[in-house]
Order: sequence, then C-alpha cells, then structure tokens
Amino acid sequence: MSLLALSDVTIRYGRLTAVRNVALTLAEGEVLFITGPNGAGKSSLLRAIAGVTPPAGGRIDFADHDITGRAPEDIARLGLSMVPEGRDVFASLTIEENLMVGAGMHVKESNWRARVTNALEEVYETFPILRDRRHAQAGLLSGGQQQMLVIGRALMTNPRLVAIDEPSLGLAPNITDQVYERLIALQGQRKLTLLIVEQSSTRAMMVGGRMILMRGGEVLIDGDARAMGQSEAMQAAYFGYGEH
Amino acid sequence: MSAILQILFDALSLGSLYALGALGIALIFGVMRLVNFAHGDVIAFSIFALLWPSVDVVARVGAGNLPWFLLIPFVLAVGAGLSVLAELTVFRRFRNASPATMMIASFALGFVIRYFLLMLYSSRPKSISLLPALSQPVEILGARIPLLQVITILATVAILFGLTSFLRRTRFGLEMRAAAENFTMARMLGVRANRVIMGAFALSGALAAAIGLILGSQTGTADIQMGANVMLMAFIATVIGGLGSLPGAVIAGFLLGAASVVMQVTLPIDARPFRDAFVYGAVIAILIVRPQGLLSGRGTKERV
Amino acid sequence: MAKRTSIAGRTIATPLILSALLLAFALLAVMVGSKPFNQTIIDIFLRVILVVGLYVFVGNSGVISFGHIGFTCLGAYAAAWLTMPPMMKQTLLPGLPDWLIALQLPYWAGAILAALWAALWAGIFGKVLMRLSGIAASIATFAMLAMINTIYSNWEDVTGATSSVVGIPILRSIWPFLIAAILAVFIAWGHAISRTGLALRAARDEPTAASASGIDLPRERLIAFIVSGAIMGMGGALFAHSIGVVTPDTFYLGLTFITLSMLVVGGMGSLSGAVLGVLILSSLIQALRWLEAGVSIGTSTFAIPNGVQEIALGIVMVAILAFRSAGIMGNRELGWPKARPVAPATTGQQQPELNKGVSK
Repeated sequence: MSLLALSDVTIRYGRLTAVRNVALTLAEGEVLFITGPNGAGKSSLLRAIAGVTPPAGGRIDFADHDITGRAPEDIARLGLSMVPEGRDVFASLTIEENLMVGAGMHVKESNWRARVTNALEEVYETFPILRDRRHAQAGLLSGGQQQMLVIGRALMTNPRLVAIDEPSLGLAPNITDQVYERLIALQGQRKLTLLIVEQSSTRAMMVGGRMILMRGGEVLIDGDARAMGQSEAMQAAYFGYGEH
Repeated sequence: MSAILQILFDALSLGSLYALGALGIALIFGVMRLVNFAHGDVIAFSIFALLWPSVDVVARVGAGNLPWFLLIPFVLAVGAGLSVLAELTVFRRFRNASPATMMIASFALGFVIRYFLLMLYSSRPKSISLLPALSQPVEILGARIPLLQVITILATVAILFGLTSFLRRTRFGLEMRAAAENFTMARMLGVRANRVIMGAFALSGALAAAIGLILGSQTGTADIQMGANVMLMAFIATVIGGLGSLPGAVIAGFLLGAASVVMQVTLPIDARPFRDAFVYGAVIAILIVRPQGLLSGRGTKERV
Repeated sequence: MAKRTSIAGRTIATPLILSALLLAFALLAVMVGSKPFNQTIIDIFLRVILVVGLYVFVGNSGVISFGHIGFTCLGAYAAAWLTMPPMMKQTLLPGLPDWLIALQLPYWAGAILAALWAALWAGIFGKVLMRLSGIAASIATFAMLAMINTIYSNWEDVTGATSSVVGIPILRSIWPFLIAAILAVFIAWGHAISRTGLALRAARDEPTAASASGIDLPRERLIAFIVSGAIMGMGGALFAHSIGVVTPDTFYLGLTFITLSMLVVGGMGSLSGAVLGVLILSSLIQALRWLEAGVSIGTSTFAIPNGVQEIALGIVMVAILAFRSAGIMGNRELGWPKARPVAPATTGQQQPELNKGVSK
C-alpha cells in the first residue's frame, strides 16, 4: 500500500499549466528525489501535495485519505510535513519557538508541554547546534543552520512523510553534505518517507534511492537514481535543456 | 517639574489609546493582511452596548448599571463577540481577496455598524456616567493628575503585559505569532487557520472594547464618532510601527501620542491649531525614511 | 505613432459608450423635469468625475490612495476664492490677499484654475510621496488628506475654518456637470492609452519586468497623480457650485470612502468600472432613499426606517465584493459588442500592489 499517490494531477496558474497529468506513488519508507530544470513543475507539485495550491485536476491520496484540495493544516495533521523552498523560518521567533510551532498538534493542551520537551530533546540530539542557540532569533542563523532548523521543525510534527524543496539551495557544498548526512540518518532511524526536490540529479545519484526527472510539467523518467546516472535516456533529457 | 509631569501623563495616556488601537489593527493585519476599517466602529459599538436597551439621551440602564467587575468583562465580551461575528459573516469570505477589496469590505461593514447604532440611538452623543469615581484628580509629585489618566496608563500597561505573556507563553499565542509572520508556513505545520484568525479577531475586538471603556469614562459620553479618531491614529501607528509588528505598533502608538502632546505645548501659539498637520507631516517624513516601518522586525524585506 | 492611433482606434469605444450612458442619465433628468431629481443626477455626475479622477491614479498604478479627496477640497475652496462675490469674501475670508478678494471669475474659469491649483499641489505632494509604494504609499496619502483637512479646518481667515463658506454661485443646470464628467472620462482614457499610462499599468501587472525594462515608476506615478489631482480639483470646484457651500469636512473621510468604494465595487482597474460603480451604487442609494421617504403601494404607504438605507448599501457592497472580488467589471472595459473587450486596461490579472507578499 502506497503512502502517497498522485493520479493525473494537473496544476495551472491562470492560463499557464505548470504540471500536466502527473501520476506517481510513494511507498512507506521510500526516498524519492524529484529532479529537473527550472520551471519543470517540481515545486508546484510539492505545493499541490501540501495543499498550498490545489490542483486543477487529478487526485492526491495520502495515508488512505483523499487530500485533493484539502487545507494545508489538514494535510499536515495527517502526517505530511512540508519544508518549502527558501527555508521559511519564522525569523522573529526564537529557534525553540520555531520548533514548537507544529509540535504535538494532536496532543491536548495539558500534555503538550511534556510532549514538546521530549520532541525537542530528540531534535537537539540530531542537530546540537540548535540546542546551543535555542534562544536566539531564527532570523539570525546562517543558511545551513536555518536548513537544519526547518528540517528539525518538520520532524517535530512527528510526520510520516517529509517533503523538502531544494535543501541545497544557497548552501555551500560541505554544508549540503552535512544536511543530507543527517537527513538520511534520520530516515533510517525513524522509518521516514522522504520526498526531496532538487534541481540537479547529482545529489540523488550520490545518495541513492528512487528518482523522477521532470521537464515541462511532465514526468520524463522514473527509476533508480544510481542506475539512471548511466542511462542514455537520462543524458538525452539533460542535453535537451538548451532548446528553449 | 509638575508641568513636565503633567505633559508626561498626557502623552502616556493619549499614547495608550493609540497603542491599544494600533495593537488591535496589527493583530488582524498580521494573520490575514486585512486593514480593518471597522475597528473604530467596534469601539463605538462596545460602549453603546452599555446603554442598551434604552435609547434616551441621558441613559444609564441595562449593562451600564452593573458593578465594575461585571461591567468590564461584559464590554470586553461584547467587543470580542462583535469582532468574531464580523469574521464569521464577512471576512471569512474574503480570505483570498486582494487587500484593497478586503479594506473596502471592512469599511462597508463599519458603515453598517455605524448606521445600525445611528438607527437605534440617533446621532446625538449620549451622556453616560461611567465609573464617575475616576474623574477626581490625584496628586503625584506635586502635579494634579486625573485619576482616570493614571488608571488608563496602568490598564494599558496591564493589557500589554497580559497580551505579551499570552503570546509568549501559550501554545495559541505561539501559533498566532507564527501565523502573523508566515501564515502559509504555519498552516503547513498544522496550525489551524480558522482558529488563529478567530482568536485574532476576538483579541482585537476586546482591545477595541477596552478603548471604548476608556474613552467613555474620559469623555462621559457615548458618541458614534468616538472610535473614528483613535482608529485613524492607530492605523497610522500600525504602519509606521511596521505593519504586522505588534511591538512596533505599540511603540509607534506611544510615539504618536507623545508627538501630539509635545507639539501641543511647544508649537508657537499661532501654529497650535495646526498641530495635527505637523504630526501628519512627521508621519510622511518617517515613511519616506523608513517605508517598511520603524520596527519591521523582518529585516530589510518590505512585506507589502 | 501609428501604433498609438491604432490603440486609440481600438479603445475609443469605451469612452464613447460611457459618455452615451452619462448622456442618457442627463436626458432622463430632463424628461423627469423635477428639481430634486435634477440635483440627484448632478450628484451622480460629480461622483463620476471624482471616481474617474481616482481611477486615473489608483486604477493605473494599483496603489490605493486615501488622499485624493484632499485635492477635491483644494479645488472646492479655490473655486470659492475665485467665484464668490468680493463683498462676501471681505467678511467671510478677510485673510485672502486683496487681489483675490477683488477677483470674481465665471464658474468655468474658476473650475479650470481650481484644477490647475489642485494639480500643482498634487505635483508637490506627489514628488515626495511617489517614492513610496504599497501600503506605505497609501498611508502617506492618507496623512496628506488629514494634513489638508487640518489646515483647512483651522485657517480661520482664509478658509473660514470649520464654519461653512457660503455665497458660492450655484449652478442649477445639469449640462456643465455632464460636460465635465465626459471630459473626465476622456482625460482618463487619453491618459490610460498614452505611453505613460501604458507603462504604469505594465508596472502594476508585472513589477519586476517593468523595472527591468527601464520604466521610471516614480515618474509615471507622479504624472498619473497630477492628472488625477487635476480631475479631482475640477470635481471639487463643481461640487462647490452644486451646493453653494463648502466646509472642510465635506471633503474628508466620508467622501473618500464612498468614492473609493464605488471604484472598488465597479472594478479598480477599469475605467468602465469606475463609471459603472458610481452609476450602480448611486442608483441603489437613490432607490433606498425613495423607500425611506415612503412608497405608496395601493392604499398603504410603505417606508423603511431611517438608517436602513446606509445599512443596506453596506450589505450590498459586501455582497458584491464577496461574489466578485475584483469588482463588477474586474479588469475589463466596455467595448462594442463582439469586439474584444480589452480597452485601456491590459489583460493581465489585476494585482494591486498591496497584494504583494500576501499569498506567499
């Protein structure tokens, strides 16, 4: 049984069609990279899954619920945690407050504190730097630290699936390495399902897992990331960039 | 010395009103980008609620007869209730509308509230003796300060303190602050939009009612226009404080109050009637220098 | 240049249709022939002038202005200064310079000068304010309005402070108001299809692209501000002549909001919307007034209580906006049937500048 399933999803902005009839499924515990050039529709797809821009057509199922057109908070409450592009930290809140926003959303007021404290401990364990600066304003963090913060924040909601948009955007390569290292470790520990959008496919090939290549709003290739690295279809798709 | 003290109290009590008003506007703007022009009419409505059901010129029946410890919660509840009702019946339909459309809708709603009051009570101000004991002066360091001014300031400080700790220490407050900064992100973390917006409206309405209580006790009248002036200054304070920034709104509110009072005393006699023109000129100057507001709190990025 | 005439050719339908509509209202007034109804139609034409003036800036730039009624105030008082009998000025406004007290112009000359006077101040204020954008600009225009109001409410010798300035010659004829309204429509149309109007709307719809293509936004906005200021000034002068009395509070928040509402309800980005917004809301107001006065149905008279008029108006406004959040016309213009109805306004999605960052 798949955790996330998209069928025939189309997304439009006014007259512009960003995503066209995309279908894909994601099993529990799987790691899926969605790659492709700028304007391929990757982020649009993620935003549709998270409920931010409802799709114009098609159907999205998550954890045995039809979530097409549902509100973002309802989808989040089903266990889908979205980390949008550009590391949207709440800049005026402290790090700890950022982490607490989505924590224990199903827990009653009275048990909330205890629950949050536990979850915080786990996140601090993974990202010790966040503990050191827990009372600092999130806006003051460096890019890499902010990336860790938003990943940590997503984990605080105790999600089944974490969807991350361009975790490497604007980060130095060695920082990106660190972020991925933690992410993959977490995935193993928590049996998380990961959906990661990256422009470049190199990272997917390094990390491994399944990979989808999108272009012009459609899925071109779907397969094993490492195997794809060698395939001709892959290279053809990439060489096709210059045309438009 | 006592003159300076008098000016200080004048500035603080006027600033208190502006700050409370600005806070009410900023709370709602923060979560839904609505500049709520109906705020002034919520202020007026709350105070008229004391008169109901009497429509006489000198009226003090109904809720106005309650002892203070019941009267105050009653008025606050009226303000909060009206505000929440406005969200449920009107603003909920405008979630995805442009700010211009929302603004005009809020104005139209204010119009409805105002004329509803007018229909019931006519436009003549009603005299109310609300908490008459407060009009006596007290002596502070040789200056005779109206007790009401002192209470206004203390009440404002208490409200600000309470609101701050609510926003800082409770889960709901945390959700509200997060939503004010980035509503979509907050929702993606499971923060429920309707709850947060409704909470913001309730708080904002209660703040409006608090202003109504203060104005009603200060002037001894209930006047349909009474909310308008405070709202305009509050509105300006919200913007120069950095739209959506709650501390900014409060600081700018006090600043505007201080500017008004200080200009009142320092301007040459001939220029005094034009005091407000100077205040507005200063507002334009501040906006030119810092269009994102004094305390935008969100770095250099202009939010609107 | 050839392109310009073709734009004019393609879009001329809009001002022509709107003028015909206004003419129809004027003819209706002539046919009915009652004095109060005549006055009602004059009021409608005045609002058309003001809302069209507002459209020139707000519609094209996407920046909400709360300040334009300030220019109406300037225009109205200028008309008073220029057209009142010298004797009355001597007693009511002794602070005016002697030459101005001695001067008494016909109403049309007064209106032209009033428009120029308002335009001059629009230029001065605009020079400073047009550097701002978004909600900061809106608030600054608001501060400007409040500033003008404070000055006019307190300058005893020159404006009579808050007391009414009486003795302004009253125009009873409907035609000057009709002509001025049509003139306003054509000025707005001419501005909208001019290079500066097109550039301004381009910047409204696509801010990034526009700044990349070298549009000098503050300058284009300033031009629109001045043109609209002039129309508002003219409207103010005629307003003064329609009632013969001016006070500063006539030109303050009430008028600001009613004109803005008409624009937004009609469709902020559309000249047709500006005119239709006035016609529709004004008709509604009138109908409600009649109901308030009482309507005989058979033997019984039916009347709605006082105040219901405004309440109903507010509810209708909310309802229209709830169902059509871009206003009745949205961004479209009236055109000849079958012709593509894309006149002055561009086809892009209307995105007032305030909207930026809202849906991120």
